[in-house]
Amino acid sequence: MAEPIRIVHYLNQFFAGIGGEEKGDEPVGHRGGPVGPGLALQEALGAEGRIVATVWCGDNRFHEMRETVVSDLLRLIEAEAPAVLIAGPAFNAGRYGTACAILGSAAAQKLDLPVVTGMFPENPGVEAGRRDMYIVPTAAAATGMRAALPVMARLALRLGRGESLGPGDIEGYLPRGSRRNFFDAEVGAERMVAMLLARLRGEPFRTELPLPRFDRVPPAPPVRDLPRARLALVTEAGIVPQGNPDGLESWRATKWVKYRIAGLDALAPEQFTSVHGGFDTARIRQDPHRIVPLDVLRELEREGRIGRLHEDLYVTVGNVAPVARAERFGREIAEDLRKAGVQAVLLTAT
Amino acid sequence: MRLELVSFPVRDARFGPRLRFADEVLEIDRAGLLDLVGRQADFFRSVQVDIARPGERTRIIHVIDAIEPRCKVAPAGAPTFPGFLGPPEVTGTGRTHRLEGFAVLTTGNIPGAEGSQGLKEAIVDMAGPGAEYTPVGRLTNVVLRFEVAEGIPVPEAVQAIRLAGLRAATWLAEATRDLAPARVESFELGPADPALPRVVYIQPMMREGDIHTTFIYGLPVESLPLVLHPNEVLDGAIVSADYWIACHRIPTYLYQNEPVVRALYRRHGHDLNFVAVIACRCLIVAEAEKRRQAAQVAKVARMLAAQGAIITMSNGGHAYADQMLICQAVEQAGIRTVLGVDEYSDTDGGDVPLVIYVPEARAIVSCGNQEARVDLPAMERVLGGDRFVTTGNSYEEAFRRHPAEPFTIGIRQIYAATAQVGFGRLTAREF
Repeated sequence: MAEPIRIVHYLNQFFAGIGGEEKGDEPVGHRGGPVGPGLALQEALGAEGRIVATVWCGDNRFHEMRETVVSDLLRLIEAEAPAVLIAGPAFNAGRYGTACAILGSAAAQKLDLPVVTGMFPENPGVEAGRRDMYIVPTAAAATGMRAALPVMARLALRLGRGESLGPGDIEGYLPRGSRRNFFDAEVGAERMVAMLLARLRGEPFRTELPLPRFDRVPPAPPVRDLPRARLALVTEAGIVPQGNPDGLESWRATKWVKYRIAGLDALAPEQFTSVHGGFDTARIRQDPHRIVPLDVLRELEREGRIGRLHEDLYVTVGNVAPVARAERFGREIAEDLRKAGVQAVLLTAT
Repeated sequence: MRLELVSFPVRDARFGPRLRFADEVLEIDRAGLLDLVGRQADFFRSVQVDIARPGERTRIIHVIDAIEPRCKVAPAGAPTFPGFLGPPEVTGTGRTHRLEGFAVLTTGNIPGAEGSQGLKEAIVDMAGPGAEYTPVGRLTNVVLRFEVAEGIPVPEAVQAIRLAGLRAATWLAEATRDLAPARVESFELGPADPALPRVVYIQPMMREGDIHTTFIYGLPVESLPLVLHPNEVLDGAIVSADYWIACHRIPTYLYQNEPVVRALYRRHGHDLNFVAVIACRCLIVAEAEKRRQAAQVAKVARMLAAQGAIITMSNGGHAYADQMLICQAVEQAGIRTVLGVDEYSDTDGGDVPLVIYVPEARAIVSCGNQEARVDLPAMERVLGGDRFVTTGNSYEEAFRRHPAEPFTIGIRQIYAATAQVGFGRLTAREF
């Protein structure tokens, strides 16, 4: 039989058996073999994995001297040449959970170690560490130890063998914020029918795509004094000069651009076109004013119904844009407009 | 309404002196086939025909449609693709022969096809990881390459290619007309225990602009519900004309072998009562029209006394809005839904996966993240074109290279890879 997988286990002062709150300043320590919950963890690992050492630190000490503590712990861990680091479980203990997350992230990033821990899903350590480690959801209190350890042990052994894990909801860890493709056992149509039958029978079912949370943007208050306001035109319709001099992309645009419209009374179709790749642009290529009404705004400007039209037209393509990038474009354009003293924007979308 | 679908599995295909099917090998008279598809001589500068087999190091580009060869054997004289190769009579009864594991792939280049009349690049690899993603990567394919003559308007050019593809598919299946069936499947919505839940399949089909559409009996899909018998879907009533983003196109082949229709049929009379397919449109432009359709679809589902509905979609972008509005209306009518979607979760899987959602969309099946990237190896042979179609987008860097070279692309460029009707096992979850 192959050598057992080498595992180092991290605990706080309480679970290491040193003491409670009063021992929160306990410095970094270590000992060969399992300690405290490590004994039950070793049992769950069986012959395939071996806790070669346990390292610990007091929760207060960890957070007060974070850098020193983490580098001391990493040194101790590295010396044991483990294949996996297991931390906790920390249940709903906030400081302990955050310590597991910080140490785990450091071990993952600096030592390239797979890390397994366990926490109550609302432990602040989850947000801090979920991207770098595998966090098994646990009960809020240590009464959940018996349920958590076998799952942690199973994941640790698989990671220690160099296997890659399946999705979080199937493997039993909290999702790490990255949706990935894989080939399932059943085809999609069969999964649709099975999920529908489960719903119709009132049985539990698991959506494959939990609904995302979108920001709600409150509408801006009305412009107070339009006849004095400087108004800018902003569009995601991909209106660019013929020839697309900046190479604005027709989908998943990587940039926003601006074009001088000072002195222009109209957007002639011989001069401007649309490179948007997400809809039928024929009508707006015939007449770009259908999406950027420069002609009408010039009239309103002459009539004094708006103060002044800003000299630049701001353009991007919103087609298939990643949300984070669209948010960045919005911030950057708003910043540019603010610097230019613009008070109002006509934002046209497709 | 009873349809007998007779399957003739194709182990291999080769060119020979005449059209013949024997011992699971299809022999194709190349000149005869070229003569058939080249009949619209004014439209085509040239037509080529090749065979691409699973496992061959062949890359097919510019894929336009995939069609399973079919011929209608009974009732006598019934058209195989009604609305195109005959009057738009209701199909889905009698007997239809099919070449199983086989498809006609139309491919080609249309001068001047750009902007809203553009055809985006669509790739089929016959070997390597790319072949796993596309529904036609494991089939034996007859590849027709059309070079359209200069000056032909794009809508006329795609119609000529469509007709040629449908004719070729019918002609090839004729080889089996007088042969003894290898395998017969019967499709009939027989009586089901009234205690079983009544289920409808709501299928929004794409239509956008002049050339991108889905045909029902030869005419573009409308933005109102049309109640179809599932046999109509399986028996040639629906023809694809979606030439936008490759991954979520639904080829004619996938309507002929509609995965949800087949899955519901398998459970009919055992776990559920499959009532009907409700065809409708997605990529509707006007909001009032979107809302009218959603309300009418829900009304029809309720009049059919449906208790459950599967709602898929095709294409992307605001097609999701059509799907979500239908989901909301149908759920509010008291009918439980499951949606089939594909995702825009970005290359790192960290972006919001859907364009839009409604809180009623609680049960979703994912057919994969179209932004995920895949490494495709070098190939020995390229069919369908000489170089990639590119829109000059920086993401299409790989498309500046020769199509035979190895490159990394988003699976959005692979033909039908994430088609939301769930033909394959591809899916995505949070890791």
